[in-house]
Amino acid sequence: MWSVSDDALVAGLAAGDQDAASAFVRRFQRRVYGLARTIVGDDRAAEDVAQEAFLRAWRHAAAYDPRRGSVVSWLLTITRNLSIDAVRVRRPASFDPAVLVETDHESTERGPHKLAELNDDTARLRAALARLPEDQSRAIVLAGLLGYTAREVSEIEDIPLGTAKTRIRTALQRLRAALVSEERAE
Amino acid sequence: MSVYSCAQLREVAPELALGVLSGAERAEAIIHVNGCARCQALVNELTEVADALPLLAPEHEPPPGFESRVLAAGRARRRRTTRRWVASIAAAAAAAAILSITIVRVVESNDSASTVAMREPVEVRMVTTPGAYPAGWAYVTNGTSVAVAVDYHFPSGRYRVVVVPHGGTSATIDTMTVADGRGSATGRSPVPLPGGSTIELVAAEGNTVCHGTVAPES
Repeated sequence: MWSVSDDALVAGLAAGDQDAASAFVRRFQRRVYGLARTIVGDDRAAEDVAQEAFLRAWRHAAAYDPRRGSVVSWLLTITRNLSIDAVRVRRPASFDPAVLVETDHESTERGPHKLAELNDDTARLRAALARLPEDQSRAIVLAGLLGYTAREVSEIEDIPLGTAKTRIRTALQRLRAALVSEERAE
Repeated sequence: MSVYSCAQLREVAPELALGVLSGAERAEAIIHVNGCARCQALVNELTEVADALPLLAPEHEPPPGFESRVLAAGRARRRRTTRRWVASIAAAAAAAAILSITIVRVVESNDSASTVAMREPVEVRMVTTPGAYPAGWAYVTNGTSVAVAVDYHFPSGRYRVVVVPHGGTSATIDTMTVADGRGSATGRSPVPLPGGSTIELVAAEGNTVCHGTVAPES
């Protein structure tokens, strides 16, 4: 199962294959649990969210459409949404986006080709984030990763709503521009 | 409800792509995006980046036994789901049979010589955000009979099922209660729903949280 593609694992999941389900969980559990933990900030709640994310993926595996994004993006989007639902009453945001810029993790359960591809995408995104002004990188992490609305970002950062919206908009557009220009350069 | 211009849409496109736009703003933005290919392309591009942002979260080893707990819960849920779907399919089949008989009887009462052929239902993808995975599906049978079901990460609550015939006037045909992410409803549109008509789920606050567009007949 180690060298089976992500798409094939999802197909196996949809077919109810227990080996595929097991390999799927092993392959992505560090990412899913890590994201849930980042957003909910509590180990026990993160485990519940991560488990539910895998169960949702299992239930909806047949609806996965590779044209709309990679398996890991699909799974992490499910995880992010569940995590945000789990923390409707938010703790004050004390999250430092610099943590995301500095971290560099590797999954030991991933095939070498996919590992390189995934880390390449992540590294490019992380580099683009690092190049943003700090106020913009904070805004995009708060909204894009932690799911805060522009109004919540404005309250957390103690800035006008319009400024929060501008920071989020500019940051996402710059990330997009950076990723596109790097893709073209390759 | 006012509808955004392209310039206004560009202002909110990043928040729409990130899924953090408030309900009313999101509804207006979706209405615009549905009718504007250029803005839809912009939102799709930004959504690609937005979807990649969770990759930045640090990985972390889950507690021991996590994998086996997920697999056990998955097996248990599949057993429950199978039982529930057997019951649902039986109920849906019964409802469809009653609906077919009713349609045949209505037509027969108007024209005893006519023969009635039930057309294949038209499948409609229901989405909360342009480009997103479907939150569910709607089926339109014989142009007016509508069945809607959502089961993909849908917020709990009570929603109006609204049909908007292409070029026509909107009408509420049923209400749907969503619990544990799932819900379904059926109803009949007062007029046929040709291609370009939309089916919407509208929250109590009046914002459209999910919609689908009937594809033109080929």
